[in-house]
Amino acid sequence: MVSKEVERLLLKVQKPGRYVGGELNEVIKNKKDIDVRFAFCFPDTYEVGMSHLGMKILYSLLNSVDYIWCERVFAPWIDMEELMVKNNIPLYALESGDSVADFDFIGFTLQYELSYTNMLNMLKLSGIPIKSSDRTEMKNIVVAGGPNTCNPEPIADFVDIFFIGEGEEVDLEVIELFRECRSQGCDKAEFLRRAAQIEGVYVPSLYDVNYNDDGTIKSFVPKENAPAVIHKRIMKNMDESYYPDKFVVPMIEIVHDRVVQEMFRGCIRGCRFCQAGFIYRPVREKSVDTIDGQSHLLCETTGYDEVSLSSLSSSDYTKIVPLLERLNSWAKEEKVSLSLPSLRVDGFSDDIMNRIKTVRKSGLTFAPEAGSQRMRDVINKNVRQDELIETCSTAFSGGWTTVKLYFMIGLPTETMDDVADIAHLGQAVVDAYYQTPNRAKGKSVKVTLSTSSFVPKPFTPFQWEPQDTIPTLHEKQQHLKESITTKKINYNYHDADTSFVEAVFARGDRKLCKAMELACERGFHFDGWGDCFSLEKWLEVFRDSGIDPAFYANRRRSFDEILPWDHIDCGVTKSFLIKECQKAYQNTTTPHCRLNCSGCGAAKYGEGVCFEKRQNMV
Amino acid sequence: MKNVRIWFKKDLECRYISHLDLNRTMLRALHKSRIPIWHTEGFNPHPFATFPLPLSLGFRGINECMDVKLEDDNYSFKEIIPKLNACLPMGIRVFDVTEVIMKAGKVAYASFTIRISEASTPSSAICADLRKLFSKDTIEVEKKSKRGMKTVDIKQGIKSFEIKEMLDCAVLEIVLSAGSSDNVNPNLIITALEAETGLEYELDITRNDLYNSEMELFR
Repeated sequence: MVSKEVERLLLKVQKPGRYVGGELNEVIKNKKDIDVRFAFCFPDTYEVGMSHLGMKILYSLLNSVDYIWCERVFAPWIDMEELMVKNNIPLYALESGDSVADFDFIGFTLQYELSYTNMLNMLKLSGIPIKSSDRTEMKNIVVAGGPNTCNPEPIADFVDIFFIGEGEEVDLEVIELFRECRSQGCDKAEFLRRAAQIEGVYVPSLYDVNYNDDGTIKSFVPKENAPAVIHKRIMKNMDESYYPDKFVVPMIEIVHDRVVQEMFRGCIRGCRFCQAGFIYRPVREKSVDTIDGQSHLLCETTGYDEVSLSSLSSSDYTKIVPLLERLNSWAKEEKVSLSLPSLRVDGFSDDIMNRIKTVRKSGLTFAPEAGSQRMRDVINKNVRQDELIETCSTAFSGGWTTVKLYFMIGLPTETMDDVADIAHLGQAVVDAYYQTPNRAKGKSVKVTLSTSSFVPKPFTPFQWEPQDTIPTLHEKQQHLKESITTKKINYNYHDADTSFVEAVFARGDRKLCKAMELACERGFHFDGWGDCFSLEKWLEVFRDSGIDPAFYANRRRSFDEILPWDHIDCGVTKSFLIKECQKAYQNTTTPHCRLNCSGCGAAKYGEGVCFEKRQNMV
Repeated sequence: MKNVRIWFKKDLECRYISHLDLNRTMLRALHKSRIPIWHTEGFNPHPFATFPLPLSLGFRGINECMDVKLEDDNYSFKEIIPKLNACLPMGIRVFDVTEVIMKAGKVAYASFTIRISEASTPSSAICADLRKLFSKDTIEVEKKSKRGMKTVDIKQGIKSFEIKEMLDCAVLEIVLSAGSSDNVNPNLIITALEAETGLEYELDITRNDLYNSEMELFR
């Protein structure tokens, strides 16, 4: 619903459909019947936020409770923001049109570090004090979840409560506690103290951090009986865990405009750069029946004609072929197409190809991540060049002519030769095309090589590693460009400047809150978008707040340093990560969870892949 | 196979979606409704629908239409209305389904109700400015075309008009050329008015009806 004041602005901005709500399946409730109002804020545009599966799950889950009304809020694009500020219109929720400041809970999902400024900016646009200590009433409780909360420290001053791990249960427990506390007349401090006792809840204000002279952490001390270690929450049984029966169906085109069906959580692989591969352990699958039923129902309630099967690595679903067969039994007749993103190089079989070929023939994308075999062993990618070539040949004989390959540069131990090998791998794919006898006739092949800059992340074996400096990354990009000798290969690369700031916040500590606050004051927003990001301005912010960004991005930590996120338990032990890091230096790989258990620690949850029967076990 | 014309209103939040978005929203609703609509036969079959005259973003439309082909000749028209409405956002409401009497290309005129206001200008003054504008022999405005900006005379595209003075706004009831060849967007009238007065107006534009070249109601 939009107010008259907002309507006056809508024809002056791009894509006004972002700001109106009113979509099919949006949830409208009667305010009289509601006890707790929850503003679910996605710190990016409508099109990005509406594509996010976690938000869909939690929106429906919260609204399935009678006394809660959960509404959606997105960051207004810069044109709309400017008009809203000029006309004194505070940020509002799409369903009711009510100002965010009216809500009991203001929840953010944090998917990438560069969205932190948007989170603060959204609070500012709502007219709510950004610092937790300046909000003393039993309202506007700012909570945050999502993968970035595994290192919540750079935004610890702003958020009242972090949800660590998966949110389906803990969100409801905290909301219920809030309701109880309010009816008992407790103040916010009391509510937070009690909330901290719930597993998976981290209340940063209940901890003191002390530093050594060199800026590293000396100690991390809990207060008021708060737990010394915060354990993540997970959903143990994916078949019984909540999944929406409806999605809000946007009227304007969004990034992922289709039914998204989750197949499993976690990843068996353990690529050493990948945070998701560690923090979502253990792997927990949904059954074929569950996936089939949920996706069929969603097609029915939304009208979408495409289902995307979501996971960190589609072909690692144990029953992928039977699943595709089952889905195709109704999908074809109902004119619904299936798409399978996140396919591994070694998972693209004829079997799978033939079952998704009924879908539009978009380009194929694979992520070998590194050019040389040595480098792929270091990162534990466990993909060989011959597998990639074989997969591409399969695709070429199936009629595909474009392949996109994703890589990272700046990986630990990387040399210039490793970088040049990315180009050589691209060349090998081009050669494979011309050696495929039944390739598409009369067509040329197009191979796109795309590189991003490696950002070391918490809870990975590379969490102690320095990031390459910006000049080094530029040198590597240049070297790769010069190593390409054919026009059939396209090279594009992700800007190193944003990766640098991302690296600062990814492994930052509480001292960075000062920089965040200053950035907010200076009007930073949409740092994940090229239009708005400015390294120069960020360097000014760091300088003015007394922060040395290289301390966070480019410094090698020792294994015995207290890391800012050491009080968070994501299920994987530090000793395992150290072992993995050391194996990386020896170019040694680790088998995936289904081949052999490497003892990462996630078995303590008592569920998932850790308890599957292995094929090599008798 | 049977051609049918589906009549609907586009208002509320749905005023703010573009024609392309309306198209996508309608196709999705048709798919969801399971009404036996003829699908295209390409690589990605989708329900086939055409719109005789697209509506600009921001306008309300109270007599909008869309043409589809029914695969089942005996399918009840009446059944389509509730089925489709259940699959659409509240801002789009289907209210009638009819046979296709006139071909889509026959649209020649469209009528609009334009409510015009400006914070510091009384409606009487806006009405006077409008009258002055329409009394001119030519009304020239800059129009964006595929080959850059060009100047067009929109006077000849005005079939008839009526100006009403209300308490809080001026109301312009106007019939303009419409269709693929000589379409005049009502926004151009306001552009011309703004060029004359130097003011920026608040607008509320509703498209009422479509007509053929004989000024018969488009059906």
